Amino acid sequence: MVEASEPRPGILSTHGISKSFGELRAVDDVSIEIADGEFFTIVGPSGSGKSTLVRILAGLDRPDSGNILLRGEDITATPANARPTCMVFQSLALFTHRTVGENIEFSQKMKGVARDARREHALRMMEVVRLPREYYARPVTQCSGGEQQRVALARALASDPEILFFDEPLSAIDYRLRKILEVEMKDLHRRTGKTFIYITHSLEEAMVMSDRIAIMRSGTLIQTGTPHEIYRRPESRFVAEFMGEVNIFTVADGRLAELGIAAAQIEAPYLVVRPEYLRPAGNGDADFRFRAEVTNDYMLGSRTQFHLDAGGTSLVAELPALAAAGIAPGDVGEWGFDRADAVPLAD
Amino acid sequence: MTGSNNSALRVLRSMWLLVVLLLLYVPIASVVLASLANTRYMRFPHRVWSLDAYAQALGTYTTANLHLTSLSIAVAVVIVSVIIASFGALAFARYDWAGRKLFRRLVLLPVFFPQPVLGLALLLYLTALGIVPDWKTAAFAHIVWVVPIVTLVISIRLYHYDVAQEEAAFDLGATRLQVFREITLPALAPGIVSGALFAFLLSWSNLPISVFTSGADTTLPEWLYSRTATNYSPLVPAVAVIGTAASAAIVLLAAALRPVFTRKR
Repeated sequence: MVEASEPRPGILSTHGISKSFGELRAVDDVSIEIADGEFFTIVGPSGSGKSTLVRILAGLDRPDSGNILLRGEDITATPANARPTCMVFQSLALFTHRTVGENIEFSQKMKGVARDARREHALRMMEVVRLPREYYARPVTQCSGGEQQRVALARALASDPEILFFDEPLSAIDYRLRKILEVEMKDLHRRTGKTFIYITHSLEEAMVMSDRIAIMRSGTLIQTGTPHEIYRRPESRFVAEFMGEVNIFTVADGRLAELGIAAAQIEAPYLVVRPEYLRPAGNGDADFRFRAEVTNDYMLGSRTQFHLDAGGTSLVAELPALAAAGIAPGDVGEWGFDRADAVPLAD
Repeated sequence: MTGSNNSALRVLRSMWLLVVLLLLYVPIASVVLASLANTRYMRFPHRVWSLDAYAQALGTYTTANLHLTSLSIAVAVVIVSVIIASFGALAFARYDWAGRKLFRRLVLLPVFFPQPVLGLALLLYLTALGIVPDWKTAAFAHIVWVVPIVTLVISIRLYHYDVAQEEAAFDLGATRLQVFREITLPALAPGIVSGALFAFLLSWSNLPISVFTSGADTTLPEWLYSRTATNYSPLVPAVAVIGTAASAAIVLLAAALRPVFTRKR
């Protein structure tokens, strides 16, 4: 966040790249600017074209139109093996008939580096990704999921790329290990100082790691910004809904249609309120107030989620454990939210 | 209680193994016994034990010639079918297209086609083209029948092959040729060895297709069949034993070479 104030030089930019498969326009006129050393994440549901986009950026696929610049130099026609970039695949694509060391050394072997130098380099990379030395001679098929993840990272780093691409490398990993690896990934990014371009379908995962996030839908980037901006200021209902549950109200004739209460000075057709901004308002201190019945409560650890029924409209609220004490299903009361916490949306 | 149960089970299991081995090897043993006689009729026990048949088999030009014909066909079949099948199997592993599953079944259909009918059909086809059948046409006919089987054998080894490995290697700076040598070929190698073994054995022992398509050349199974049916002498089992020993030697050699191919570096 600190670096954001001083503009970093750009490393990779695309100008209007598109790619179609038959009738389907997988990537549609995408232009992005990525800064040197940035952790940039592209988030989208499956079929949004994010994998195609990253394959084009890595040089594994050619765009139908548009161009890609690396530090100002056009690399659109440069194949993957001649680009100073490297990809970590969703399947990891480890060379299954080889050892950990042989996997990591592969790029150096292709360059004709001598065996001893290769080995030394591989061991250094293993240290970077915190893989014990004794794994060097082990077949990759005998490594656990987390260890294979590290081997793939070390193999990519060993080619000393300027940009590392990640195509959902954590999607096949169980929740707990994924949380650990997310933190490690962020840490690795900081230690190596390289540019990371990461693809995922999980906005939650993106929030944890990224400097900037781009939301992709049907082949186009619909919003780009810091995790904070994406969360607090979504520009469309799609983005607002992408990160878990939200309350969306329709504004019609100066009223919130679902609640039947006045909504003066709200020009936009929709109003979005995150669950954590809905709260009991019995003392009348909220800008917007309505009566609602609690229908269900779900313990989420540090918070409790409540499902509300406001005159036939289902709403969701989340309160910290202290504030949630004493509220139970069946309670009917005043709930509300403040104008400052509600995000007006045009779409 | 359980201990005695276990030992009883072990005895039963070894007996079962023994029965299976006997069933497998008694026919071979009886062929060896038959080759040690000097009579024109299969009869046991022999009045005179003799190695004459072997002397005759090794001494005549026919034996060497039969083996050479069968070997030439088998080697040609192995080389051509492994090349075609490798590309076919790679296409299966690498590309996902509509009808892929259906094709996987269709490719096996010729295996179920009666071999004599296939042989006759191919003979008619060759005649129509004006080609005089000899061992080369027999090799061609074997290939038609063997390629689907070898394709299947190699494909099975590639079912778990992650094609992204090739892209990863390319992305790590390998040229197309290096990708093939470092990634694709090592992945294919075990399948190629198994496929080659299958191709060799299927061709080496084939009778129904050879009968129709080998023309003036005679393969080992053809000769064995005709001499058993009409002009039997202990020479027949003697040649069979020599043939069995030769093919067993080749299979054992291939099995011994297998680690060299599969665990390279």
